[in-house]
Amino acid sequence: MTATPDELPLEETIDIRETADVATVIAGAFANNRPLYPIGGGTALAWGLPAVRPGIGLMLAGLNRVIDYPARDMTITVEAGITMQALAQQLATEGQQFPVDVPQAAEATLGGVVATNTNGPRRFGLGTVRDYVIGIHAVDGRGTPFQGGGRVVKNVAGYDFCKLLTGSLGTLGVITQLTLKLKPIAEQRTIVACAVSGWQTAEHLLQALIHSQTTPMAVELISGPTWSSLTEWPTGGPESVDGGLWLLAMLEGTEPEVRWMVNQLLGEWREQSIEQASELTPEQRSVVWPALVEFPAGEGPLVVRASVVPSATTQMMAAFREVDATCELQAHAGNGTVIARFGAFPAEGLSRTLVSRLQPLAAAADGNIVIMSNPGKSEMTPQSVWGGSDAPFQLMSAVKRNFDPKNLLNPGRFVYH
Amino acid sequence: MDVAPPAQLVARLRNVLGPDRVLTARSDLMAYECDGFTIEKNSPDVVVFPSSSEHVSDIVRVCNEFDVPFIPRGAGTSLAGGCLPVGGGVMIVLTRMKEILEINLRDRYAVVQPGVVNVWLTQALKETGYHYAPDPSSQGACTIGGNVATNSGGPHTLKYGVTVNHVLGLEAVLADGQIVRLGGPAEDAPGLDLVGAIVGSEGTLAIVTRVWVRITRNPQGYRTMLGIFESVEDATNAISEIIGAGIVPAALEMMDQGILVAVEEAFGFGFPLDAQAVLLIEVDGLEAGLDQQRDEIDRFCKQCGAREVRRAETVKERQQLWKARKQAFGAIGRLSSSYCTQDGVVPRTKLPQILASITEISQRYDLKVVNVFHAGDGNLHPILLFDERDQQQVARVLKASGEILEECLACGGSVTGEHGIGVEKIRFMERMFSADDLAVMRRLRDSFNPHNRLSPDKMLPTAGACGMEQTHPGRRAAL
Repeated sequence: MTATPDELPLEETIDIRETADVATVIAGAFANNRPLYPIGGGTALAWGLPAVRPGIGLMLAGLNRVIDYPARDMTITVEAGITMQALAQQLATEGQQFPVDVPQAAEATLGGVVATNTNGPRRFGLGTVRDYVIGIHAVDGRGTPFQGGGRVVKNVAGYDFCKLLTGSLGTLGVITQLTLKLKPIAEQRTIVACAVSGWQTAEHLLQALIHSQTTPMAVELISGPTWSSLTEWPTGGPESVDGGLWLLAMLEGTEPEVRWMVNQLLGEWREQSIEQASELTPEQRSVVWPALVEFPAGEGPLVVRASVVPSATTQMMAAFREVDATCELQAHAGNGTVIARFGAFPAEGLSRTLVSRLQPLAAAADGNIVIMSNPGKSEMTPQSVWGGSDAPFQLMSAVKRNFDPKNLLNPGRFVYH
Repeated sequence: MDVAPPAQLVARLRNVLGPDRVLTARSDLMAYECDGFTIEKNSPDVVVFPSSSEHVSDIVRVCNEFDVPFIPRGAGTSLAGGCLPVGGGVMIVLTRMKEILEINLRDRYAVVQPGVVNVWLTQALKETGYHYAPDPSSQGACTIGGNVATNSGGPHTLKYGVTVNHVLGLEAVLADGQIVRLGGPAEDAPGLDLVGAIVGSEGTLAIVTRVWVRITRNPQGYRTMLGIFESVEDATNAISEIIGAGIVPAALEMMDQGILVAVEEAFGFGFPLDAQAVLLIEVDGLEAGLDQQRDEIDRFCKQCGAREVRRAETVKERQQLWKARKQAFGAIGRLSSSYCTQDGVVPRTKLPQILASITEISQRYDLKVVNVFHAGDGNLHPILLFDERDQQQVARVLKASGEILEECLACGGSVTGEHGIGVEKIRFMERMFSADDLAVMRRLRDSFNPHNRLSPDKMLPTAGACGMEQTHPGRRAAL
């Protein structure tokens, strides 16, 4: 779903090299009423409503320095344009990580990941972006630089701008610098997988995991043609799901911990009459893990994400499968996150398929469905893109007006009314 | 309101709540004139006890109509004056909203009213294999609503995170009386993370009336150890070594000699009274990995000069060690009639430096200071002992506290890790944040609380107030 800045109505782009320049550019845009589109690696520009008002592309990937890395304190302070890959390489030198799995890590910038609140499979065991950002610097819609948090792992002084800006799609401020709390890299990692014969069986297995003695970092359910052909999966009972269905548990820890968990989980699954489960080989893992991380960025005429209570995960997957027999599905099943890459754009259109059928189903499971990418841009409305018409968008709009009174930061793309 | 509250206001509140849920008698109000931060006191004019979100909403609407300030309060265990009614007004005490509304194991969440005491939830989860992770030392008294307001921590936050990491959603009454729901049991609600903004906002953005919290799987096993050190520096070096090696203990707490003496007198655990510092270290997780971690920790402690590393061999021994840690504050009464607990944070590696500074400052002001704190997080709790009746001593405590916090800032830290700004630390906000930062914070507050009637004069200094010397902590904002 890589979009190029060409998809935005840009009159010009400005390459930012120094943090101070962000404030200068925004202050100038404020004076001249010119919209601004912050751009990091350009990997998530398909998010949100299509931009309409012409404006300036603020190119932030050049803002990529490491400012301070006190490894023993397990924190790092970096400029927001650093790519996820460069960040990971830096941290690996000290055996540490920022454990958020993001597609296209060579291009995706940390600032973009924070602005879009992008999370991957390990959100189940290790949490999400908001759990790791402990300090933030940004520039608001007037051109005023501001900061929240600090460089220590525990800090309750002042309002938590780290949380407020995470997932704000750059609409409250342009993020320039971030301080992260870090984790050690686990000694070992493996994946245990089994084929699942139907949606109900899958739900039973997920329920059993609630009381499992093991502690998986990721619990994934996958279904669809590209998954089927990815590797030689364990075989299961009679298949009742189009596109197949597999349950994967990713385990991390020390060598004895991982060995113990593999045996334990296989045993627990046998008690659930899953006889064919197995640990993936290193070769399989080297294909499967990247595929799990990259999945949301794959091509497709429509990519959406449902977030529901975990117990509704299989129901949501089944509903997607019913709407599109060829769609590719990935669920972070421990969290109730379901990503659907459609094989074909819904013939009945988004209003009848997504808005009238799928979104109410998600709402009934306390959740929502948002569009991650729709290259054709048809039927992109606030309801289809962001769902949740009864969410407190008015209150959010009041916050937006106080941060960006002229509505210049990513205008018209987020949830505000 | 310096005079009695208008009879009409009281009548309207009684109308909403019934006569026995509105207090106005001076003698009744006195119990609410301060919280755990006792140096500063001011009485509210009215105290009300709602039992539903609708009650809270109605109370807020009445307060707006009469243009009086209003402030929420839980159990009043704040150590920073978070519940101090600076400008008087109506205090909304939420302790009668104390129902655990739902426990949903399948979807790993619970829904509670704000007056639910922290430990009640973990008790309610006892047979389920799950617990509620944030565990402030006051967890037997403090409420989850109060934990949300201050974003409370506790010993086990080193591994499990603070309150905000466990809050999925909120129902809240806004400053205009509107009831909103933010987030909920499903993750990734579209739009801004207003849950994240409200947690830790110290009651200045909204009054939380319902909380969706994440519940956490109990670990399979624990290994709890007590490292005994000849010097504070050796102990802090051991912390650095342990964490530097990639071990993230569930908890890593330090007690210095001063507090050990008090705890030993109170509980008689057999702590060595001549040790300069002890580390209470706990690792948890899979049994398969615990002995290895325990042995590594043992080795690091001894490498750093630990005289001895004791192990809790039984569940009872583990509980005793934790009892000693969590009730350490209660034992301070044996050392002094009054005490002031500070709450600073430094990067973990700066612990030796800050602890040396604290010793130097306490000597210079001729005060006794003891330390019991969350060492793994770099979150200090120096406890300054004094006699409240001696005004000179009170003044020295204030000055020494200020210098300790200044040192935390000089080390690249913060003036509060988990207690909040309240009124106590308002003057430090300008040291930590620029005028622009504070202006943006005020704008966020204005988005929620435009007339500033909700918890006025808390957390943010009043714009343009000039520097005045404090005689009492925290009063500047009220000027």
